[in-house]
Amino acid sequence: MEPGPAQRADGAAAPVVELVGVSRRFGAKTALDDVSLAVDRGGISGLIGPNGAGKTTLLRLLTGLLDPSSGSVRILGHEPTRASRALRQRIGLVPSGDRSFYLRISGIENLVFFARMHGLRRRAALAEARRALEEVGLTDAGRRPVGEYSHGMQKRLSVARALLTRPDVMLVDEATHDLDPGGARRVRELVADIAGSGAAVVWATQRLDELRGFADHVVLLSTGTVRFSGSVPDLVAQSVARRYVVRLRNGGLDGEELGAVAERLLAGRGTLTMLGGGSSADYLLSLSPDAVLGEALAALTQGRMDVLTCHEERSEVEEAFLALTGEEEGSER
Amino acid sequence: MSAATPVVARRMSAAAGELGKLPAFLRRDFLTAWSYRAAFFTDAAALFLQALSFYFVGLMVNPEVLPSYGGERATYLEFVAVGIALSVFMHLGLGRVATAIRNEQVIGTLESLLMTPTATATIQIGSVVYDAVYIPIRTAMFFAVIGIAFGLHFEPSGFVPALLVLLAFIPFVWGLGIMSAAATLTFKRGTGGISFGVAILTLGSGAYFPLDLLPEWAQTAAEANPLAIAIDAMRNALLGGTGWSGIGQTLLLLVPLSALSLWAGFMTFRTALRRERRRGSLGLY
Repeated sequence: MEPGPAQRADGAAAPVVELVGVSRRFGAKTALDDVSLAVDRGGISGLIGPNGAGKTTLLRLLTGLLDPSSGSVRILGHEPTRASRALRQRIGLVPSGDRSFYLRISGIENLVFFARMHGLRRRAALAEARRALEEVGLTDAGRRPVGEYSHGMQKRLSVARALLTRPDVMLVDEATHDLDPGGARRVRELVADIAGSGAAVVWATQRLDELRGFADHVVLLSTGTVRFSGSVPDLVAQSVARRYVVRLRNGGLDGEELGAVAERLLAGRGTLTMLGGGSSADYLLSLSPDAVLGEALAALTQGRMDVLTCHEERSEVEEAFLALTGEEEGSER
Repeated sequence: MSAATPVVARRMSAAAGELGKLPAFLRRDFLTAWSYRAAFFTDAAALFLQALSFYFVGLMVNPEVLPSYGGERATYLEFVAVGIALSVFMHLGLGRVATAIRNEQVIGTLESLLMTPTATATIQIGSVVYDAVYIPIRTAMFFAVIGIAFGLHFEPSGFVPALLVLLAFIPFVWGLGIMSAAATLTFKRGTGGISFGVAILTLGSGAYFPLDLLPEWAQTAAEANPLAIAIDAMRNALLGGTGWSGIGQTLLLLVPLSALSLWAGFMTFRTALRRERRRGSLGLY
């Protein structure tokens, strides 16, 4: 019998990917603590968090490469660690890092090998490998040893491998890390297509902005615990930006002189730090704890200072991330 | 019977599917080995130089201390050639089996492989299938090269029985290799232990000198050494021309030892893999 999602008592299909109260400890260290997650057919669930948050551990639990210390992990209604070969056939994994290929042999030979491990005969494996290479834009590099691939190319090859068998569950760990924007967009489109055809996707990332317009649901992990679970707009709503990049104009003034005038106009609502060179008109506006952005800008304009542009120093998703994880830029964990 | 038949058919079909994956491993490892072409040729040259060294050592050895096979006293080079072939076979085989899985772990492909719907046994077998083909060919080439170069005399009637001994010996080496692989998976390092084990077995095998030269207790211990048993049987077949009659007793001893070794290998590896999954250290090395 083909493994598939179980039915709930109310008759609705159970999520394709489901974690309930999962904890995982490594000795005294708790990598995941009481984490729950559900991804339905066709859904993309973003998993974000800083380094060491537990994202990779969670994905390894889903792949069955790791047992949970407690809680329940189910994929298509089955426990991954006891997964039958038929179940593994339906899971595609894009691991983090690029150490997952045979570097001395070509990209196409690697894909053919993994396709054969999925039970395809050589001719079919070759056809699927060519298709997957084309999908990720690596056709021309297919005959080159993987050892000669750039990091980004190996990532794309990794995605191609996961696409070989058109999986029902796609587990993606930092797929766009180190990819150029075009390559990253291409990978997201491929995964979105897979989700569009009904696959459940768990997408772990640190690139917060890529979740906007891509993930249906976001789980934010920090030190192994869920700090947020909801939609991307709900995550954005958590943000309270306090720093803005502003471009000012006031007659012939520029540089520190312009900044000093503007800061007097702010009257304690915030401070200005000049960005760029000595004649720059760009400043970082840091609002004081009780100040409101509108009032600060109004104070500037009432003092005949033109505010040419104003935008958040970081995206609202980043702000939310930092607010929820308690991290600050440049801090080391 | 009606209920059992579909189950049996399904298992047969699954086993056939798994067997069908082995050529993919063979191709992968051949392509990898071929990418290091120079190693092929240096290996062949090293084999020849090793034989040449023993040819000169043989000039110093008193033939009276060497045993007779089929009523004729062998030359030292004939005597040692069989010993070298088998001990090198064991060393290479054991080392490769033990490190095949380790290599997958180090280059990071083990987890990707375990994520495919491939049985653990297939991964184990597949990881060494190239060596299972290459090492016997290499051994045969060794015999052919030194036979031609140094004019050694091997009994043609002993070729097939010798091959049979070799085939019965392979699972023994394989089982030990898988046990070493399990130890490596668990302790992350284990090649030192493998080398030590091979050195002990080789010392007590009579590969390079007659076992009569060992102390009596060591000679008794050597009677249970599968490498010594295999070497002696192959010498009887290739140098003494004993044919099939000379290997019956050997096969009776080797086959159960090989089966036991293989079973213990699979069990320890499965246990090691389960432990690594539980601990979450499968990708660590």
